[in-house]
Amino acid sequence: MSEILQYIPGSSPLHHLNPVTKLLLVILIVGLCVMSAQVSFLCFLIGVLVIGAFFSGLIKEIINQVPFLLLLSFFLVILTSLTVQEGDLLLTILPSAEPGGQGYGITLGGLLFGVILSLRFVVMITAFQLFVVTTKPSDLVTGLLAFRLPVDYVLMLLIALRFIPSLQLEAKRIHEAQLCRGYNPGTGISGKIRSMKPIMIPLVANSLAKTQVLGLTLDMRGYRARKNLPLHKLVFGFGDVISAVLVVVILSAFAYLHFFIA
Amino acid sequence: MILATALSYTYPVGVRPALRDITLSIGAGELILVTGPTAAGKTTLCYALSGILQHEFGGTCSGYLALNGRPVTDYAGVGELNRHVSMVFDDADSQLIFTSVEEELASGLETRIDSKQEIEDRVRKVMELCGIMHLRERPPYALSGGQKQRVAIAAALAMDTDIIILDEPTSELDVVATTRIIEILQDLKARGKTIIIVDHSLEGYRNVADRVIVMEEGHISREGTFDEIFPEQQGSMKALYTDPDLEPYTPADSPVIVRIDTLIKRYGTIEALSGVSLTLYEGEFIAILGENGSGKTTLVKHLNGLLRPDGGSVHVRALDAATAPIIDLVQQTGLVFQNPDTMLFADSVRDEIMFGLENIGSDSPDRIITDVLSMVGLSGSEPTYPRHLSRGERQRLAVACILAMKPGLIILDEPTTGLDEKESDKMMDLMLTLQERGHTIIMVTHNMRIAEEYAGRIIAMENGRVIGDYHNLKGRAS
Repeated sequence: MSEILQYIPGSSPLHHLNPVTKLLLVILIVGLCVMSAQVSFLCFLIGVLVIGAFFSGLIKEIINQVPFLLLLSFFLVILTSLTVQEGDLLLTILPSAEPGGQGYGITLGGLLFGVILSLRFVVMITAFQLFVVTTKPSDLVTGLLAFRLPVDYVLMLLIALRFIPSLQLEAKRIHEAQLCRGYNPGTGISGKIRSMKPIMIPLVANSLAKTQVLGLTLDMRGYRARKNLPLHKLVFGFGDVISAVLVVVILSAFAYLHFFIA
Repeated sequence: MILATALSYTYPVGVRPALRDITLSIGAGELILVTGPTAAGKTTLCYALSGILQHEFGGTCSGYLALNGRPVTDYAGVGELNRHVSMVFDDADSQLIFTSVEEELASGLETRIDSKQEIEDRVRKVMELCGIMHLRERPPYALSGGQKQRVAIAAALAMDTDIIILDEPTSELDVVATTRIIEILQDLKARGKTIIIVDHSLEGYRNVADRVIVMEEGHISREGTFDEIFPEQQGSMKALYTDPDLEPYTPADSPVIVRIDTLIKRYGTIEALSGVSLTLYEGEFIAILGENGSGKTTLVKHLNGLLRPDGGSVHVRALDAATAPIIDLVQQTGLVFQNPDTMLFADSVRDEIMFGLENIGSDSPDRIITDVLSMVGLSGSEPTYPRHLSRGERQRLAVACILAMKPGLIILDEPTTGLDEKESDKMMDLMLTLQERGHTIIMVTHNMRIAEEYAGRIIAMENGRVIGDYHNLKGRAS
């Protein structure tokens, strides 16, 4: 079973990096990719992430995401091509009613916007994924608390991540139990929707039943009462110096591509 | 250590009190066993004694409860109480939150100990104590039920509190693992810890528990030493294979229903079944016994096509279980899962049974529904919402759902987990009735008592192999 967004134990540079540093890097990368509309800069960020993944031995994880990212990009490009009408018309779908006017169709601007949007999503998803799979959940909590985020929200994120593999396993178990009763997923859209019920209802009901014990467990381990963080976690090391260099490189690239080239 | 006087409690949505007039005094270093039928208030008592009830649940609480001589309401919430009390909840899965066993155990310590070294030392000690060192880097959600329970217990022990409360911590553990847990508790008790444990399997606590509390309908119905309350032996705590009442199995003279030949199943690189060969006959009542992880469940999943063999062959009557479609196999082989909640989804008991009948295209569903409900003792509950039934009733409804499809072979995976003795026996009596009506019954279990008392044939498994096949002369089915 492939596990989505779960911590992968390891001892790579990314694993050793302070969670706070990692979080700052993610915020920087995500922030810049939203601000930038340049294909070259977005590609540069993807390059940085791929290199980071390569040196952390996580390149396989990133490659596994490629089909999903391609599918997402495909839909984004289709959507923007059909909705954004800017720039030269590349393919006319409906000719203009007035003579000489530009008709409705796929435009260069729409296409470009779709590509930029896709690249942004690739950057954001990859950056977040690298952060989560190389950070232990308990370090994640420490890192987020260092940003003075309310403890309840941090725990919410922790629990959401924790639930992903549980839901996968539980869904598999429920599917098997229903197969034992001759469950046959229907065909066609209405059949597909109707066949969701025997899986979704036990899945949701059982997950809700788990939340109480889960919450109590966190309470009993003193997580919610946690105001001051353990300081030993926030020692900065050599990796953090490297990160600082990386930040300078990314910012320079951003400035160069946006202010000197453009 | 713990003092409760006239403690009563009603849940916010409850009508009847869940606890009634509990008066209890527990000294430091005592080990108390709490038992009683399902819904007797045992879990609520655990919540009360840990302070969770008063601080987290709302509802109406009366009477007095003090921990360490201080009223529980004086503590600043569970955040302060967790320095004195740790608790193991009955659902092991939902109390494991982190991504490795090691981190799971450390998580409770990071909030109170600053030294990383000290945390590591303590985690290692607890892992060694509970025999889970080899699971150190495994993600908890991927462990087996028994392993999860051991990790959950270890996580509570790591907190090193004076009071430890355990709510049915051994329900999914086999005899060997349960004995180990009881040894650990004994050791903790010797070190002055106060331990309160809820359990259904009792015999292991003889000479260990200082006192037994029997609960019924929210109040303490009996209290005394183990020998006073249970003078007779309560089930077996020894490995079954050494039982003198078991004779080597000789084939029955009825037709063959299942033929398994050198079955091999692999999960990745792990061989879960290494060449299992078995022949099962019509009308037998078989118990498959084995420790956690011995391959019992993997084996039975091959009988209805949920798993397909990697080597060898499986035949159910005339069907080849390696290739036959699941829809055909499930009409021969009905498999009832351990937890009924994995299948209940409909709005009424009637619709729940109807689901299977529609899937196989039954022609007289209403008559069948009435029949199977009366068989499992749930007559008249057709309009009830399934999740409003008790755990035992839900388990029997799950059996009814499978029964309605009229399979010749009925398989039950751990049919008595979460059921008290009375409900377990009810379940087993139902199986005996079905056997009389010509069904073949297989139950996968680690519960020696029900296997010895009911099954006619006992198959023992270990590490993916069959290590014993016996006639059980004492079993009521033979």
